[in-house]
Amino acid sequence: MKLKRFPPFALWIGLTLCLVGSALSIPPGRSLIEQSMAWHMVIQMPILFASGWFLMGGVWDFSKTSPGSWNQFGLTGFIAAQFIITYWMLPISIDRAVVMPQVDVLKVLSLIASGALIQTSLSRSPAVLQLFFVGYIVSMLISTGVYLATTERRLCNAYSLESQLSAGYGVVAIGVALACGWAYRINRLKPKTEDRIEGF
Amino acid sequence: MAKNSSLAAEGLTSGAVLWKTFLASSVVLALGLIVLLQATAQGNAFTTETLRRTEVANTPSLVPELPVYDADGNQSTLRQVLAEGDKVWIVDFVYTRCQTICTTLGTVFQQLQHQIQLRGLDDKVGLLSVSFDPAHDTPDALGIYRDRMRMDPDIWRIVTLSSPLDRRQLLDAFGIIVIPAPLGEFEHNAALHLVSGAGRLFRIVDYDDATVALDIALATAP
Repeated sequence: MKLKRFPPFALWIGLTLCLVGSALSIPPGRSLIEQSMAWHMVIQMPILFASGWFLMGGVWDFSKTSPGSWNQFGLTGFIAAQFIITYWMLPISIDRAVVMPQVDVLKVLSLIASGALIQTSLSRSPAVLQLFFVGYIVSMLISTGVYLATTERRLCNAYSLESQLSAGYGVVAIGVALACGWAYRINRLKPKTEDRIEGF
Repeated sequence: MAKNSSLAAEGLTSGAVLWKTFLASSVVLALGLIVLLQATAQGNAFTTETLRRTEVANTPSLVPELPVYDADGNQSTLRQVLAEGDKVWIVDFVYTRCQTICTTLGTVFQQLQHQIQLRGLDDKVGLLSVSFDPAHDTPDALGIYRDRMRMDPDIWRIVTLSSPLDRRQLLDAFGIIVIPAPLGEFEHNAALHLVSGAGRLFRIVDYDDATVALDIALATAP
């Protein structure tokens, strides 16, 4: 990997999102994620993920990046990011992040890392592998969202059922947006990707 | 020939590179699984509520010794109330202004009371409602709730904390999270808590499963 020479625009976006995302874990911003599951799951978590994505995109120059011997085809990064995202979709983890500040710190750091990992992994992997991991994450987001929005069981002790319903719709929307974003990206980078498939 | 050997060399390096990635991925996979299993009580609890119930069933805990008063204004402690009559208690948490879940809990307790009366089990199983809103639930408020629910004093009792400062300790001991809701109401995880006469919380069951709670209480009653 190679460092970019000048801090580009993406870095500033990443830093801003990182500040906004972290501010939601510190009072007075914290009261928003304590009171609303949607603020927590649909606004803060994606902001943290996106901040990692942009920070990584702003720091490393992927056009001059070597394949990376420990993360060939982005496999290691995908698996790690997938675990992080799965973990923070569990109601029990969401409750813990609200009640225990030390868990919340881990949440902020790990979600930023997951964005950075996905950025690196997508730049290294062929379309089929991307489809597998992105497809998995998208289907997980949509099914979790639909469950949150339709169940009558209150899943998080820290949030009301009403809050859970709105968060559910938001999570579905994130899943759909992610799928569209990925499809757009793969289409834009098409020639490059086809080369990689042959190489694969 | 030269081409072939360079291909072979490439194959070797990419094989070596893949081996490293395979190792790293396996380590990440194993770590991820360990963390997920650890966080969910070996895959048994995906919500805080199921974790709370699993933990209580595995390791019963002693309820704290907190000063309480009842609808007649009598002062005692939570464990003294539980020690009365050598019974197993089914405990729920309420606040008397509640219009939502506590009303359902109230109905569940009324049905349980009816069962206990019908089957003559009042020396074996008791019902205890604990209010976590001592600021509003004065003895008078508890008395009104008692009359509204038509509590049989030999079976069903209601108490609240003498000191609002003990609220945190009470809720933590039972794993109840109370969150403020609109219109001055509270939202909280509602369930039926089985507590022995010695003050040991040993099972938590859904309030839909009142008959299960009664069966467990009878099976463990002295």
